[in-house]
Amino acid sequence: MRRHRGAILVATLLVLLALALADVGLLDPLRIVRGVGNLGEFASALFPPDPSSLPTLAEAMLETIEIAFVGTAIGFALALPLSLAASPVLFGPAVTAPVKILLAAVRTVPALFWAIVFVVAVGLGPGAGALGVALYSLGYLGKLLYETFDGVDPEVVEAVRSVGASRSQLARYVLIPEAANGILAQLLFMFEYNVRASSIMGFVGAGGIGFYILGYLGLLRYDLLLTALLLTLLVVVAIDRASAVIRRMFLYPVAPMPPGE
Amino acid sequence: MGLTAAQQGPGPTVRTVAVQDPAALRVHDAWVSYVPRRPVLRGVSLEAHAGAVTMVLGMSGSGKTTLLKLCKGLLAPQRGEVRVLGAPVVPAQSRGRLDSRVAYIPQQLGLVRTLTALDNTLTGALARIGAVPSLLRLVPENELRQARELIARLGIGHKADEKVYALSGGERQRVAIARALMQQPRVVLADEFISDLDPLTSTEIMGIVRDIVATGVAVVMTTHEMDVVRRHADQVIVLRDGEKVLDTQGAPDPAAITSALRA
Repeated sequence: MRRHRGAILVATLLVLLALALADVGLLDPLRIVRGVGNLGEFASALFPPDPSSLPTLAEAMLETIEIAFVGTAIGFALALPLSLAASPVLFGPAVTAPVKILLAAVRTVPALFWAIVFVVAVGLGPGAGALGVALYSLGYLGKLLYETFDGVDPEVVEAVRSVGASRSQLARYVLIPEAANGILAQLLFMFEYNVRASSIMGFVGAGGIGFYILGYLGLLRYDLLLTALLLTLLVVVAIDRASAVIRRMFLYPVAPMPPGE
Repeated sequence: MGLTAAQQGPGPTVRTVAVQDPAALRVHDAWVSYVPRRPVLRGVSLEAHAGAVTMVLGMSGSGKTTLLKLCKGLLAPQRGEVRVLGAPVVPAQSRGRLDSRVAYIPQQLGLVRTLTALDNTLTGALARIGAVPSLLRLVPENELRQARELIARLGIGHKADEKVYALSGGERQRVAIARALMQQPRVVLADEFISDLDPLTSTEIMGIVRDIVATGVAVVMTTHEMDVVRRHADQVIVLRDGEKVLDTQGAPDPAAITSALRA
């Protein structure tokens, strides 16, 4: 009986998938064949990568990293107080609900769109990109942080609340130190994510390597495009390695309690 | 603590202006339920006195932890009342500050693992430290000195700057005591306080508890250790299914306790 129900569910999902595939135009065999051919042409135009633009790209990459760094820092500075305000450990639903909605609203808008808004506001250049990244980071980090605070051992919160601590003291002496592991991990993740997000900020004139990526695409200079993409990949991998090292340096053991005496 | 009758002898009669409650902690007809119509505490009343150790016994699920949380104000009774030093306990529902004169040590101690033994001890003084200095971690010199003295007196002075996660069970127990004492409490509530310790360490810890009681603090602790009850209890309360089934004053009778637990 139960197995029967499972089979019906799988069959239904397969039918839905087929319908959706047809709707997005992927059930057309001619189109698929044509697509593979085009991809082959594109791939052959990518190679070999042209390194002549490396000095320019390196400079643009540095700017990309700066956009991500400044954006992550501003985003974190805004997200920390808001995530505390969104934590049910400290506040009732009258405070947490509106703050959570605000964070969700900010998060819904892609970083690229925020960048357009700031290009209008503060003009072309990396400043607009950094602000765009900052706002998106606020929405995303805010959510990650309040979820981390929710995970703090309620017994520790109760114990320190019992000493007569205020809300701000609870945040300072319990939530932030107990969640330090998570906060650091999320900051590193956000920075890495923002480096990738910043690499397309240039599409809308908000600085960084994206300006060149879009330019090479328009000029059909796929060999230069590949150089830019490889450089981005290199930087992202390097940041990933660096994050791992930083995490190892700072994280305390998560299940640390040695057996009682 | 409470006195005072009319003065004897010659001279004008002195009347007490405010009559102090002789009980440090008084629970009257407390009913608590987490789920409607499934009370965890059923009309529990008790008094705990300054300078005495009150031990609360009962099987798992008998309501011991709920009783302590109720006394601390972490829970509000659906019916009944809790008074500490004569004043009603304001529960934490409002998320405001709780009374620092009542210290609460939860079962797993509730220490902040990433802070040092000294910093955990200092959190006991938070009610006396203003918002801005505590945010900047600028602790007044006298509080810092007091915290260091407490830790040293409890025998873990050399571990003051170690993070709690690196400490042993007995050492963590002492940090929790230090934090409680830092509150300058009149009542100490301790949940399953010595359950995880070996006999030697638990004897040492109970020695510390006796010293605290000698300063006029009321200690209310839950435990399973009959040996500890025999040696250290001034009053024993037995809970069964949320009801108080035994309340002794003075030296407890082990046979009566055992039969109350089992019956």
